[in-house]
Amino acid sequence: MLRFCRPRVCSLPLRRRFHNVREHIHDERWPGWQVIIGIETHAQIKSRQKLFSYALNTDLGKPPNTHVTVFDAAFPGTLPKLNNKCVDLAIRTALALQCNVQTRSSFDRKHYFYSDLPSGYQITQHYAPIALNGQLDVTSSNSIFPVRIKQLQLEQDTAKSTFHARTKTAQIDLNRTGVGLMEIVTEPDIRSPEEAGAYVRSLQALLRAVGASDGNMEQGSLRCDVNVSVNRVGQPPGTRCEIKNLNSVRFMMAAIIYEIHRQKAILELTPDPATATVPQETRGFDENTFETFRLRSKEDAPDYRYMPDPNLGVLVLSEERISNIFLNLPELPDETRARLKEQHGLSDHDIEVLQNIDSGHGVRFDGEEPRDEEGISNGAIAYFDQVCAGVGSLTQRTDGTPTEVTAPKARDPKVVMNWMTHELLGKLAARKESFKDNKLSAAQLGQLLDLIENKIITRSSSKLLLRHMLENPTLKSTLQVAQDLKLIALSHGSAHAPSNTEAGYSEQDPLEHLCEQAVAALPAEVESYCRGNVNVINRIVGRVMKDSRGRADAQNARNIIERLITKATQR
Amino acid sequence: MLKRPNPDWRRAIAEKNATINAFVYTKPPQANPNSEIRKSVSLNGPTDDAPLWGRGIAIKDNICTADMPTTCSSKMLRDFTSPFDATVVKLLREAGADILGKTNCDEFGMGSLNINSVHGPVINPLSVGAGADAGAEPRSAGGSSGGSAAAVAAGMCFGSLGTDTGGSIRLPASYCGVVGLKPSYGLLSRWGVVSFADSLDCVGVLAKNVQDAKAIFDVLNVYDDKDPTAVSDEIRKRADERTRERMSVWNRGSESLQGLRIGVPQEYFPSDMAPFILERVGHVISGLQALGAEVVPVSMPSTSYALSAYYVIASAEASSNMARYDGVEYGMQVRPPPGADMTKTARVYSHTRSGGFGREVQKRILLGTYALTADAYDNYFLQAQKVRQLVKDDFDKVFVVADQRGGRQSGEKDGGVDVLIHASAIRTAPNMRGDGGDVGLTTYVQDVLTVPASLAGVPAINAYGGIGDDGFPVGVSVVGQWGSEASVLRVCEIIASIV
Repeated sequence: MLRFCRPRVCSLPLRRRFHNVREHIHDERWPGWQVIIGIETHAQIKSRQKLFSYALNTDLGKPPNTHVTVFDAAFPGTLPKLNNKCVDLAIRTALALQCNVQTRSSFDRKHYFYSDLPSGYQITQHYAPIALNGQLDVTSSNSIFPVRIKQLQLEQDTAKSTFHARTKTAQIDLNRTGVGLMEIVTEPDIRSPEEAGAYVRSLQALLRAVGASDGNMEQGSLRCDVNVSVNRVGQPPGTRCEIKNLNSVRFMMAAIIYEIHRQKAILELTPDPATATVPQETRGFDENTFETFRLRSKEDAPDYRYMPDPNLGVLVLSEERISNIFLNLPELPDETRARLKEQHGLSDHDIEVLQNIDSGHGVRFDGEEPRDEEGISNGAIAYFDQVCAGVGSLTQRTDGTPTEVTAPKARDPKVVMNWMTHELLGKLAARKESFKDNKLSAAQLGQLLDLIENKIITRSSSKLLLRHMLENPTLKSTLQVAQDLKLIALSHGSAHAPSNTEAGYSEQDPLEHLCEQAVAALPAEVESYCRGNVNVINRIVGRVMKDSRGRADAQNARNIIERLITKATQR
Repeated sequence: MLKRPNPDWRRAIAEKNATINAFVYTKPPQANPNSEIRKSVSLNGPTDDAPLWGRGIAIKDNICTADMPTTCSSKMLRDFTSPFDATVVKLLREAGADILGKTNCDEFGMGSLNINSVHGPVINPLSVGAGADAGAEPRSAGGSSGGSAAAVAAGMCFGSLGTDTGGSIRLPASYCGVVGLKPSYGLLSRWGVVSFADSLDCVGVLAKNVQDAKAIFDVLNVYDDKDPTAVSDEIRKRADERTRERMSVWNRGSESLQGLRIGVPQEYFPSDMAPFILERVGHVISGLQALGAEVVPVSMPSTSYALSAYYVIASAEASSNMARYDGVEYGMQVRPPPGADMTKTARVYSHTRSGGFGREVQKRILLGTYALTADAYDNYFLQAQKVRQLVKDDFDKVFVVADQRGGRQSGEKDGGVDVLIHASAIRTAPNMRGDGGDVGLTTYVQDVLTVPASLAGVPAINAYGGIGDDGFPVGVSVVGQWGSEASVLRVCEIIASIV
């Protein structure tokens, strides 16, 4: 895999002139106004342990204060110990965002008193972040637009405090204290609420693809602060307001829309447009009224008294470490999309379906690839790739008996896609399972497709077989299971070869035999057919199907029955 | 096997501690350390061939112990017992030491006279009891490790652990006439040592003589994974090898010091230094010269800025480290009175913090908070960091060997010195009342000779340099390049033989 040559878009000085970067696009909701948005995202790092302590990261819903070390609780005499797994995941993310990873960065203490901060300071990277100057190409419904990433920095998460208004007390859960966060800051390159939503979704997909974060806003593993300003088209950018702690894409977009109208109203009400400004503020969002509200003005902005952390010193990264991570970077969503389109000719819709399934699978700790017990990658796209590539390929000997081959044979991506999304996902859904619960291996599904393709089993048998294998997970090959269940098609693929005498098959073709029995058993229908009531043959075919327990190919059976009746009437 | 009879440290504590106030907590022996029972019981524990078997060691009260309170002499932590042992305490236990108890200190290590303590001041043992003039004023033991120094001087322990941020081991060692070693920064683990200023804090050893101090130091001098500032084994080894190479030139026997180069920094004789101190230090230097050592006058031009830089950096870090004492997770909590302003968390915490911290700690928190504010940061904190680098450079320029941690200059240079020698303090132990009291800047000036080695992170030892005109001990400091404990300790040993 060669990915060293990702092109950098343009050099730094040019990139700073943000208002020239993107042309104004008219928006009928606020004609004559330009909206400028920048987003700060906090993504929890999916590491097994916290950023500076060996306490395990927990899922939500674990009993409070059970995953806490003396360091997390800021006991006297404790010292931080940097978790290199967090650093590696941050480097991965930074490289995926095309950032310059800094070979030297450092940690600082940001001081403030709050009950969710046991040490009275948060360790962050204020003066020298681990990565700078990147870019994310965001795909929205109708366009692709670049968003420059100003910086990515490592920092600690805070405790979770729950305030009880009635008792006027706060309860503190330190499980979240010290979990690693990546703060990802954009340049003000976003121009509409919809673009902001698309940016966050793209970032979520990227974080999941590189295995750095769950990126789940509802569960709080991804949180956004949004900076919004408005200005009249052609005028310099307005004063920005920051909206804190938005925890869903929907709320974020609603908050931005509210904020645009609020700021626009302030500017329009000021008599002299030349001096009109919006007061700089930090605002919150009320999820019930869908309005933003003032948290504090610029004058109340706290002084965080940043100080280099005297314990952690300089974080030195070798070029070798960075390039190793670069070379082993998992495929990014854009790359996957392009490859699926090019290599397999999938439609945008199909790709979106696959990527959506993939985003549902849980991100593993410490950037480990999602794999099953046998070490096979089990993401939906990897699964699709494996089935297409021909894992578990079957072929037929010259005598017609199926056998597994060592050289895999590629399969038709459209067929694979169809089976994965309709049959497999459908049957999983019927079992109230999702793709990550799937126990059918890619080789097993692939072989199932080969069995159908080669008419070794019938379509109706194949569905039965799939359901059986989902109900009874097995390591056996699909062929083996089909044989065990006696689902091998009768007279497979051989309307013209009525007497198969090879080993394992009866003297007389069993399908031929079943058809003969059906014709003999339904004389009234045969007579009706002979009189010209052609449709009645379906009843005879149905009898064959029933007697064969689905193993018969309906078309074959029909052909044989027609031949038998014709033969009989000619006599 | 014990080489010497076990002195009865606990009896000395029982007899003298009421006056001296060195120990704030004592622990009865777990079992007689010399008995057969202990030997047979401790299957996996230390045995009687352990390096510190049965040695009574006192621990400064800002070093965490799981079986004794760790109060840091603060009201804030008066009832606090740490859930874990500091690495240095664990190492002492593993080496068979008998941990006697916890020693008094200035609150969180902030002070030079051991008078800022919720447990009351430590009295210099040389100023009370037998041997002291009747009716003489009680004198200070120095600080902040005053209890650790006094415990050694009063025969209450074999040795003790202290911490040294800007002189907190060397100054009390000087006032009490004992050996006090502040090792190179990053050698002894700080895990479990309550932070005052992390970039300066060092755990160190106090003992009656150099051999005892060395025995304790050797047990503690191991890399600890839990301390992010611990220096790697590789660098320790390299620095020690370089030191021993140099020592092979001059350390060939007790009769001759031919080849040893001693630097005497001209900036270390401030005008307010007592004349007899100058005279005693001169006596030590000429004694070494008589043994063949070469005395080289050196200049360390940044010394005069060191004290201000030290107080900015130490206070800034202290203001940050003290932020955790808010009464939520542990320690004292003062609930706001009814009707109090509860609009901000800081307002709620202020009741605990105003009630729990003593005056000196509050003063330094305010100083440090100011130094870190956005407006002052560049002029104070950043300037102080620059001065710190200059001070470091001063040391690198005079020493013959390079800083193996990778300083600005590498390799050896001709004319460099092996060690520096200067007075540890500008005076002997001050009176508890009068000029030695807590009066404005005068207490800070006590540290003027000790802070440069702290800023540079280099090893410094106080050796006993004789009795001053007032009958109290004069301390001599021996300072070496980073990681050169072997040569610094050796020079101290020789000084002890000539004083």
